[in-house]
Amino acid sequence: MSSESGAILHEGATISARFKMLLRLHKLEARRGLAEIVDNPISNFMTVLVIAIALALPAGLQVLLENGKTLSQSWDGASRISLYLKLNVSNSQTEHLAKSIKDNPAIDSVEVIYPEQALKDFSASSGFADALAELDSNPLPPTLVVQPNVNHTSPLASETLLSEFKQFELVEKAQLDLDWVRKLHALLELAEKAASALGLALGLAVLLIVGNTIRLSVQNRREEIEVVKLVGATDAFIRRPFLYTGFWYGLLAGVLCWLILEVSLIWLHQPVQNLAGLYQSEFAISSLNIKQSFQLVGISCALGLLGSWLSVGRHIRNIEPR
Amino acid sequence: MIQFAQVCKRYPNGQDALRNVDLEIKAGEMAFLTGHSGAGKSTMLKLISLMERATSGQVIINGKNLNRIKRRKIPSIRRDIGMIFQDHRLLFDRSVFDNVALPLMIAGYDHREIGRRVRAALDKVGLLSKEKNTPIMLSGGEQQRVGIARAVVNKPPLLLADEPTGNLDPELSAEIMKLFEQFNQVGVSLLIASHDLSLLAQMHYRTLVMKESRLVQDQIDDVLEVDDSFEQDNDTNLVRSADEF
Ligand SMILES: Nc1ncnc2c1ncn2[C@@H]1O[C@H](COP(=O)(O)OP(=O)(O)O)[C@@H](O)[C@H]1O
Ligand SMILES: [Mg+2]
Repeated sequence: MSSESGAILHEGATISARFKMLLRLHKLEARRGLAEIVDNPISNFMTVLVIAIALALPAGLQVLLENGKTLSQSWDGASRISLYLKLNVSNSQTEHLAKSIKDNPAIDSVEVIYPEQALKDFSASSGFADALAELDSNPLPPTLVVQPNVNHTSPLASETLLSEFKQFELVEKAQLDLDWVRKLHALLELAEKAASALGLALGLAVLLIVGNTIRLSVQNRREEIEVVKLVGATDAFIRRPFLYTGFWYGLLAGVLCWLILEVSLIWLHQPVQNLAGLYQSEFAISSLNIKQSFQLVGISCALGLLGSWLSVGRHIRNIEPR
Repeated sequence: MIQFAQVCKRYPNGQDALRNVDLEIKAGEMAFLTGHSGAGKSTMLKLISLMERATSGQVIINGKNLNRIKRRKIPSIRRDIGMIFQDHRLLFDRSVFDNVALPLMIAGYDHREIGRRVRAALDKVGLLSKEKNTPIMLSGGEQQRVGIARAVVNKPPLLLADEPTGNLDPELSAEIMKLFEQFNQVGVSLLIASHDLSLLAQMHYRTLVMKESRLVQDQIDDVLEVDDSFEQDNDTNLVRSADEF
């Protein structure tokens, strides 16, 4: 009576028969794992919902960030060049220069800001109106805000234009207005780091939630596990339906999370479009594509499986038949 | 089949359950284990099925020294032992068929073979017509027979039974014993713990008597020479154990 006697299959079983048997066993256990969830719909729905929300937070943030990045890319092109002219340049000279720049095919538009206008704007916005009124002469230079057309907005083209403008005799200082774009990028990068940290923390939370739920269901089945051990079940055999339960939690939560995100994004669609309209932008918020959707559900399944795997082995091991 | 050499078992609370037990049961043998409640009968069966480990001494089952069996190997040892309990230990959320099929599923038989063997085992215990019922719908005697079918379904060479007739009336007990005899006739070794003396008196098999953690009598012939003290003890114990149920 070797321990392997009679086990597995009767004599002459082919590989494919073995495989079919294994498949059948897994199907049975997958169903038993799912039944575990279906038998107790309310409390299990709560678990699935909690997992889904925990996943929706970082995933939603990630989607918004992706949208932010597309938006900032479309703004990269909007790099304007500010030309600060020498203080003694007259208004007609300024106008003349603006016209000649505008003739350049690389330039879309030129906005002229005369010193008087600039001073008025500044004293209105700065709150130093009284102090500025004391000044003898206007310290602000005439300024041209140059908008290159779309074909000349790459960093390189902008730099070329910039050095060209610096040659102009009337120009005191030429400045590429990329600063705020750079700041936006830095901000997005920071937000991305924060999203990763949040994702990590909430992923850990999902592992704990699944692990704890599985621990409870192992405890509820203590007697059954004892019996199954008495008739010779290995820990691996006992573990399997619980692993499937974890997997199902992950799958259901992943799909629910996807639904939550889709609904939220549809809900955001109109307000975002309204906002974009105010800025004459075509920007529309985009939701998850197919690949990202599968990634989301896949990660969720993996977390469910991992959470139950981390928990089930330990707790099954502690149950010994009496 | 079963060999005990100077086996002692002391539970963690300091209780001695077995003291220097020597024993040999050969393959194909059927033996009863008796003695008053608390004498150490269940402990002996638990050592054989690795539910407990000996504190000292050797337990050798089928040539394997259980002291050397690692935790990981326990399931494969248990698959070669059919176990029958007083409280049946059935799974009440599964059908009779599924309960009996359990050892075969664990061993990985294919489903046609499982169907064939489960029905053969249920037929043997006379419950073929109840395969779709759940154990709750069955009487105590029927539940015990389901437990027996589960224990024999993968044809283990050794059967252990701990008070298998404890809850049953004499008629049903005799039926169960008849089943055991039939298994023994096809070569299965059996060790049956029971303190039901009237039942043992009808059976003419080797009887091991335990008293206060020791094996005090090993009677091969059919006349059981029981000393007075045991008989008295046993009567009170029958009452006491009836209360426990
Ligand atoms: N798990 C345990 N922990 C401590 N003491 C135990 C345990 N199991 C049994 N005992 C003690 O060991 C002795 C033998 O018990 P047991 O083998 O169950 O006897 P029997 O089956 O003959 O009634 C008893 O005194 C009992 O109280
Ligand atoms: Mg006992």
